[in-house]
Amino acid sequence: MHRRRAALAVAAAAAMATVVAACSSSGSSAPKAGGTGSGSGGTATMWLVTTGPSPADDAEKALVSSFEQSHPGSTINLTLVENQSYKQKLQLAMGAGNPPTIFWTWGGGILQQYIKAGYVEPLDQSTGSPFLPSSLGPVTYQGKLYGIPVQGTQPVYFFYNKQIFNQYHLKFPATWNELLSTISTLKSHGVTPISLAEGDQWPGLMYLEYLTDRIGGPQVAKDLEANKPGAWSNPAVIQALTDIQQLVKAGAFNQGYQSLKFSGGGSDALVYSGKAAMQLMGDWDISSVMGSNKGFVTSGNLGMAPFPTVPGGTGNPADLAGNTASYVAISSRATPAQKKVAKEFLKELASQSYAKAQVSAGEVPVTSGASGLFSGQDLATYDNTIYSDVQKAPSFQYSWDQALTPAPSAALLTNLAQVFEQTMTPQAFASAMNKVAASGT
Amino acid sequence: MTRMITAEVRDDLVTTPRRPGSRDKSRLPDLVGVGPPLALFCLFMLIPMVVALVLSFTTWNGLGNPRWAGGANWSRFFSDPVARTSVTVTLKVVVLSYVVQTPISLALGLFTAGRQRYRAVYAAIFVLPLLMSTAGIALLWGSLLDPNFGAMTALSKAWHMSFLNQNWLGDPNLTLYVIIAIIAWQFIPFHTLLYAVGRRQIPAVLYEAALIDGATPWQMFRRVTLPQLRYTIVTSGILMIVGGLTYFDIIYIMTNGGPGYTTRVLSLDMYYVAVQQNEYGYASVLAVILGAIGIAVAMGLVRFSGFASMRSQQAGAT
Repeated sequence: MHRRRAALAVAAAAAMATVVAACSSSGSSAPKAGGTGSGSGGTATMWLVTTGPSPADDAEKALVSSFEQSHPGSTINLTLVENQSYKQKLQLAMGAGNPPTIFWTWGGGILQQYIKAGYVEPLDQSTGSPFLPSSLGPVTYQGKLYGIPVQGTQPVYFFYNKQIFNQYHLKFPATWNELLSTISTLKSHGVTPISLAEGDQWPGLMYLEYLTDRIGGPQVAKDLEANKPGAWSNPAVIQALTDIQQLVKAGAFNQGYQSLKFSGGGSDALVYSGKAAMQLMGDWDISSVMGSNKGFVTSGNLGMAPFPTVPGGTGNPADLAGNTASYVAISSRATPAQKKVAKEFLKELASQSYAKAQVSAGEVPVTSGASGLFSGQDLATYDNTIYSDVQKAPSFQYSWDQALTPAPSAALLTNLAQVFEQTMTPQAFASAMNKVAASGT
Repeated sequence: MTRMITAEVRDDLVTTPRRPGSRDKSRLPDLVGVGPPLALFCLFMLIPMVVALVLSFTTWNGLGNPRWAGGANWSRFFSDPVARTSVTVTLKVVVLSYVVQTPISLALGLFTAGRQRYRAVYAAIFVLPLLMSTAGIALLWGSLLDPNFGAMTALSKAWHMSFLNQNWLGDPNLTLYVIIAIIAWQFIPFHTLLYAVGRRQIPAVLYEAALIDGATPWQMFRRVTLPQLRYTIVTSGILMIVGGLTYFDIIYIMTNGGPGYTTRVLSLDMYYVAVQQNEYGYASVLAVILGAIGIAVAMGLVRFSGFASMRSQQAGAT
């Protein structure tokens, strides 16, 4: 009887252990050569991320088939992987020594872990030369290039409802103080000033990134990425967090911003329905609003403006923050033949024809000399601004949650959410983050 | 009638004394019978648990081989404020779920086991949430409670009931209780079924006897129904408590553990540490602790309640 009782209890509890162990069971084998086991000479495998069928997918597929035609004997097996599960899928494949030849990456901390473990093939510096220099930071490690942009750049802007601003005779604020007075004007008219989807946690991070840069310049974020001791107590970070809480106290954000999610379209809806005046978001917001309310965009009601400057700040107002680009890299575990095919293919990503295909798919490519490609496109006005801003930006700060390694990144998002909820002070945030960074791996 | 059937069953239960020679023969079929489930149990339960225990003493981010870390992960657990919060939140979920769900399930179960008019209609309505998938429940409640476009907000405006206009999923002092209420909404139907079935198995003679003895309805409930439902209460309790310990899906979909860490239960913490932060060693510590608590609670409940001995509750009734 006793044994059966124990067994019952063990059975009840074992489910959780299975989760972790299932992830681990494949990992102990050392990485082996041979990619996904397609041993034949000229066949490479490639994983790209998709967020559902999109024109960008079609551009990628078209590039693969044109590459296969112009390179007889070379084949690329393209797999489109769903966005949410991609990081885990790649991590498991890497750990099991079974990664694709060419893999999608967001660069930054996770790519660095792979590079340090010797899983990523360094590329010729010349492969990167057709691209805007500011776009290659996230895939450059210790002076070496490891990745090439495969999809466009996504800087962050304020997107605002022009009807509301016209109605109350407001122009979009250019400085922090103007922003605060705009907020109080909008509030006095019963309009929620800013729509914030902090339920997803990353939307709040964009405020911290921009404020830190405007106040202290790009070096502050570089210190954070480099894991310098005490970097999170930098006065610029503390000031940025204090400013964020000032916005919260001023009632700048929509009710329930703590649980609102961007993915549900709720934060967009607040803006185009006129309940809220603006939203700080990556440039994907244009297509996101288009998807739910096309007329709002095509009739020119969606305004786009840079993040305001902060008085006394040392950052350049032309600095950008956001996702510099999305990239592909080559696995060092692939066979020499596979690597050869892959490197040839990566050159195609810099081609003018692929840049053109990306533009038609609504992306803003980061190849230099793409500025002429936008005219005649649906979103040419937005795209032209974005491209020239990226071209001119003295610094393009890469999203911190991608730039940092996974553990500090996760702690950053949750702690920042608490700053937005006023349950954590800037000082407590800084000391918590310093601790995570110090124990960091 | 009942007496006869019981007599037959009792006959079956009497073990025939084994003759010394037959012992070895009878063991072989036992092993053959037990083998496959035992192998599956080892493969999917014991081995993963042992692996998790071993991993908890290593540092491993999923790449290359795990490195031995000694007790570093374990000492980290005891100084980790997030883990401490998670343990507290988990205990709150377990205790409050039990306290909320048991009386409601018991009351609804007894009601649906009765013979009133329209009982079947009510029963069907009560059981409705059981038919919905967890993800569906999470999305449904998520949109009902949406502070900008949700039904609650609309109701509060239409009926001027401002207390409905809460920041249901974003208020650090409120969200955990909202989640516990939704979990209760999801699971009460299941436990109602358990209690209804348990109630229907109580022989009518017990109530007839109580009635003859002049018992009040409350006394019948207290002296007949509750003792007779003892094992149902234990079963339902174990399911609630162990289920509460490992609860994951609704919280993951609706709040992601937020706002802040206020709804971050231990299983969610383990998931994030493992899958998002790639710290499999430390995640294994959390898994082992969760497993140990689960085993301890289940064994404690079984022992404390006398569930294991399965004594008859109907001695004298048949």
